[in-house]
Amino acid sequence: MKRVIIKALILTVFFFAWQRSFAQSQEDMRINEILVTNTNDFEDDFGHKNGWIELFNSSYGTVNIGGCYFTNDPANLTKYIIPKGDVLTAIRPRQHVLFWADNQPFRGTFHLNFTLEESKEILFVASDGKTIIDRIKIPHEQLLENISFGRVKDGFGKTDGTEGWEILRQTSPSTNNFGVDEIPKSVIIKEIDPYGAVMSITSMSAVFVSLILLYIIFKQIGKYNIRNSQKRSDQVSVLKGRKEKVSVEDTSAEVYAAIATAMHLYQTDNEAHDIENTILTIAKVTRNYSPWSSKIYTLRETPVKNR
Amino acid sequence: MEGNLFQVLARNLSQFWEYTGFANFDGNWGYLLMIAIGLVFIYLAITKEWEPMLLVPIGFGIIIGNIPFFSGLSIGVYEEGSVLNILYQGVVKGWYPPLIFLGIGAMTDFSALISNPKLLLIGAAAQLGIFGAYAIALLMGFSATDAGAIGIIGGADGPTAIFLSSRLAPNLMGAIAVSAYSYMALVPVIQPPIMKLFTNKKERLIRMKPPRAVSQTEKILFPIIGFLLTALIVPSGIPLLGMLFFGNLLKESGVTRRLAETARGPLIDVITILIGLTVGASTQADKFLQVTSVLIFVLGALSFIIATTGGVLFVKFFNLFLKEGNKINPLIGNSGVSAVPDAARVSNNVGLQYDKTNYLLMHAMGPNVAGVIGSAVAAGILLAFLA
Repeated sequence: MKRVIIKALILTVFFFAWQRSFAQSQEDMRINEILVTNTNDFEDDFGHKNGWIELFNSSYGTVNIGGCYFTNDPANLTKYIIPKGDVLTAIRPRQHVLFWADNQPFRGTFHLNFTLEESKEILFVASDGKTIIDRIKIPHEQLLENISFGRVKDGFGKTDGTEGWEILRQTSPSTNNFGVDEIPKSVIIKEIDPYGAVMSITSMSAVFVSLILLYIIFKQIGKYNIRNSQKRSDQVSVLKGRKEKVSVEDTSAEVYAAIATAMHLYQTDNEAHDIENTILTIAKVTRNYSPWSSKIYTLRETPVKNR
Repeated sequence: MEGNLFQVLARNLSQFWEYTGFANFDGNWGYLLMIAIGLVFIYLAITKEWEPMLLVPIGFGIIIGNIPFFSGLSIGVYEEGSVLNILYQGVVKGWYPPLIFLGIGAMTDFSALISNPKLLLIGAAAQLGIFGAYAIALLMGFSATDAGAIGIIGGADGPTAIFLSSRLAPNLMGAIAVSAYSYMALVPVIQPPIMKLFTNKKERLIRMKPPRAVSQTEKILFPIIGFLLTALIVPSGIPLLGMLFFGNLLKESGVTRRLAETARGPLIDVITILIGLTVGASTQADKFLQVTSVLIFVLGALSFIIATTGGVLFVKFFNLFLKEGNKINPLIGNSGVSAVPDAARVSNNVGLQYDKTNYLLMHAMGPNVAGVIGSAVAAGILLAFLA
């Protein structure tokens, strides 16, 4: 019965973990940037300029958004379903994908059935058709032609559009909002710390802290273990009527190793000499030379002729 | 007709000649030089027995990688889709090193460290080589990422060096890996003079307290607590630390013997063959023979010297705070670098030169395995800062 309950528990945990991981992957998608009025910006494959919505996969795993929904109507969360089965809907880690809000869904997977000009809010909905993953209200009054609204840093900020968004200096369809002229971290580090002194001190401190903590913990575990072993040893001493107690701490591991080796040899390798088979075998030795009677082994040193 | 036959034959032979390695040398003596280096590696491995498990595959890999060939046939290590290129992906993507760490964990006995946990600190001190080399590399004009990747050579840990360089400086990975493995093989040559230089006779004769017996519970707790602690501090080291401690748990749990045996036997052997061969093959002369590679070798040597010095001097400093009878022989300071078990063997051999009955091997294994943990932590830190 117990086993059945344990198995059921494990299965339940697995099921929820799987469910959670599945939902979590879609939940990692973010509406990252929108351009409402496009007169002089990026063109779609048909050569048309329309408003667009950029989605960003903020996770470090590929996310398939096939079956998820886009809508501009909170009362109708399943307004546009992203078609399933299109390989292009598998968004690679930390990558972007662009949807054209041109109200021309027959043009392909990435063309929505509404426009941004007519929308007050954009919502990205999970494949269950109920869970709102991300939403953003469009600040129409602030958005001039070819000016986009996006997250300051890709994927960062709240999912209700209340934090982390601003009017961007330039549009950045299908690329990082902030990363176009970003200076790599290593370059900044070299500028701040040209001789590596800060880095060395910081890193060595971190290495030392890790190992010092490990030292402290295992010092305490060791003490606890020695105390327990000593108690057991003392009990055995009392039982066997020994006057002197054996100090566990001072007993070298080498002693245990020697005893263990002897027992191993005795039990497994038949190396014990306590019982001899008492059979003497005299066999003809084919070798002409045998070292047992060699003079090399019987003389302590090479004789020197007296002068 | 006869004339035509000879013409066709001559053209075919001429074409065949163009396919041969001889024709493709094209005056690039670098290939010959690299083949010679490969042969030297094999010679050192067989005759001197310097890290033969590494130097034989790497040496032969160097020879494989430096046979000039007609490009486009998808045979070179840098040609996408070639067999060597597919095998090389384990190096490029960095999944060989964690598997090697799994095997190392499954074959490492942390008892010496658990019985005397203060030896952990020596493993931390010896990581000075990594950051010393990092600082020098910066001064020499390398970028911070390149300097970090080069510095890790000082950790004396081939898999860690490959793992970090594949992330920070993939273009330098061949030189870094070959340099790391070469100096690991040269540990018995590099370390003794430094150890002798910074110690006096009295210190070399210090006898350390024999290690106490360690219970199985302690051995089981070590990988679990060790991982939790180090990974929580340096999450970027999870691939290496996770595999190292997981391998050790397989060994110490006592209930996963088969898994432990596979990890420390066939698995690590297979990965060692693949990593050695492909790293060797990646040293194609046209990509490897550059001034940068020479600088990396110089920096690699410096990092080993700094690491050894750091370990030995730290023990001397540490001894100032330890009571008589608990003092540590500074000859085990060199073992803080994670060249397991060569560095520990060097401690033992140098110790025996001064006292034929003072066996330091067991004591030196403590800092040696601590060095493995320390270098993985250091790699994680560099990755977090620079990647």
